[in-house]
Amino acid sequence: MFRKVLIANRGEIALRILRACRALGVEAVVAYSEADRESLAVQLADEAICIGPADAKRSYLSAPAVISAALVTGCDAIHPGYGFLSEDEGFAEVVAAHDLTFIGPPAGVLERFASKAGTRELLNAHGLPTIPGSVGMLRDDLHALSEAERIGYPVLIKPSAGGGGKGMRMVRTPRELESALRVCRSEAKAAFGDDSLYLEKWLDENRHVEVQVAIDRYGHGVHLGERDCSVQRRHQKILEEAPTPALDDAARAELAARAIRAAVAAGYENVGTLEFLVDRNGDAYFIEINCRIQVEHPVTEALTGIDLVATQMRIAAGEPLGFSQADVTFTGHAIEFRINAEDPDHEFRPDAGRIERYLAPGGPGVRMDSHLYSGYEVPPYYDSLLGKLIVWAPDRATAIARGRVALEELVIDGLVTNVAIHQALLTSDSFLEGKMTTNLLDRVGSAAFLAAAARAS
Amino acid sequence: MPESQPSDVRSERGPDERAADHAAIDRLAAELLPSLVAKLGATGLGELEVREGSWRVRLRRPAEPSGGPGGPAAGASSGRSRRNPDADRPERAGERPLRSAHHPLETVTARTESRGVATSPAVGIYRPRTDLTVGDRVRAGDRLGAVDMLGVAQEVVAPIDGIVGASLVESGDAVEYGQELLAIELVPSAGVSTNGTS
Repeated sequence: MFRKVLIANRGEIALRILRACRALGVEAVVAYSEADRESLAVQLADEAICIGPADAKRSYLSAPAVISAALVTGCDAIHPGYGFLSEDEGFAEVVAAHDLTFIGPPAGVLERFASKAGTRELLNAHGLPTIPGSVGMLRDDLHALSEAERIGYPVLIKPSAGGGGKGMRMVRTPRELESALRVCRSEAKAAFGDDSLYLEKWLDENRHVEVQVAIDRYGHGVHLGERDCSVQRRHQKILEEAPTPALDDAARAELAARAIRAAVAAGYENVGTLEFLVDRNGDAYFIEINCRIQVEHPVTEALTGIDLVATQMRIAAGEPLGFSQADVTFTGHAIEFRINAEDPDHEFRPDAGRIERYLAPGGPGVRMDSHLYSGYEVPPYYDSLLGKLIVWAPDRATAIARGRVALEELVIDGLVTNVAIHQALLTSDSFLEGKMTTNLLDRVGSAAFLAAAARAS
Repeated sequence: MPESQPSDVRSERGPDERAADHAAIDRLAAELLPSLVAKLGATGLGELEVREGSWRVRLRRPAEPSGGPGGPAAGASSGRSRRNPDADRPERAGERPLRSAHHPLETVTARTESRGVATSPAVGIYRPRTDLTVGDRVRAGDRLGAVDMLGVAQEVVAPIDGIVGASLVESGDAVEYGQELLAIELVPSAGVSTNGTS
């Protein structure tokens, strides 16, 4: 195991990694930007080092600053968290060149899975069905039009790099396609520095189901079940749960088994997530792999009792996994609510400012991963995630009940949050019946959800 | 920009090997370099080095004197050899920085207006100029030293016209971004003459 780890991230995940380090008896240094000087991770850390100004490009995204910080503080490993440099194979390579360990897949593995289109081909060759789509990247508008014709409208335009919904558009006609291509190209270029796009057949009313895997350096891997992330707003996940209500037990087991087989065969290493779209027939299509710890990892931790961040660190340190598939058991049902500083009444406009009062909920099966404290100033420079509320119970209905109580108990005064949309979801028939699809919130409209919830209460 | 060179001795090579070299250069230029250039651009790193067989290709970004974020970083190998002996004394960098490091200039003006403090532009190892001593006159913007971030010097500059005062950290110390390094005392009378060079 490592002696000392540099945590190159912020917010709730910096805190989560700090806790994992402490549980493993590993020293940790929190690297922070000037805007995060008062953050909870910095306050709780034994050691913290300022790596740059608020601008992420000069701090959390600056490979030289992060590596220099690791070297001068005597660290032997860097944990990148999620986002920022977490899936940057160039960064992982330079980290290794400085005799430091990148906590995540090795650079060569990140490189193999860097292109979404390439990864789809690779995992398709290892037995995972993929959504019909364009062959390779779109060369130009003409190529896009002919590929869309071949696949059949509606189609989804997707960027090869990145995620989070940037550069993504669903189009139903050639006309829409032509105008959307320009927008997607410039969005993708701005967000990821790469404007290559591809097309996928659009599956109406699909569910997003993902399989968590953990594979050690020696090719020994297990799956840790699936998570359902169908509750999305503009391609951003806002609520995740497991097990998925979309599939029966046999189908869930089958999907997870296929995912781990393919990931091992394709040479994946460390913790990762294979994302699938599940259509209304229950057919699952592989869409992409996430080579990092994910925001929603606590859902899996709640069901399996396995510390995923610690597992990630142990694998990166070269330790064998130490358990097999038969050792992994799944108990109960878990739901994660992403608490964002966003205003549901105003197009989910992000908010920032001082937290006047913060009270975390508690009770059986309730976990709050948040970096908030009363008096904390939420900086405006980064994403709007304030924390994650995770509830667990032996069954889904009880988990939903605990979720309602916990959301009610949660106090975040001083800025606007999206708690109301979660409360609305917990009263909506679509969610209660386990029938949420990825486009439902956008199609029906968040406002309608909120209004329905207000009427019900 | 791109330099490629065989790492062994050229004179001992025969025509066949030279032909093979040329083929290798063509292949490197056609296949490897474009992807490396793209990678360098995407990562924000200063330098990339790749070895393949007896060949080594190194790409380096042009230097940015102000030491911006994309400033040239040392290559993989140099970072290792330049690892600082103080690296095992992390408590220096780990100490909670003075709160005034937040907005050094503002704090200084607010305090007495008789003093400025040069702060670190980067996280790394502090290397002050050796030819400056306490009492030397400097002008705002004069180079006072550098912070070595992965082998690349990021300039430390004087925030105000004044006289070099006390050093707040020693040469070779690990410093963090914004850390106070060197006090600059305000010159009491007008007519500052500059002793430092930039």
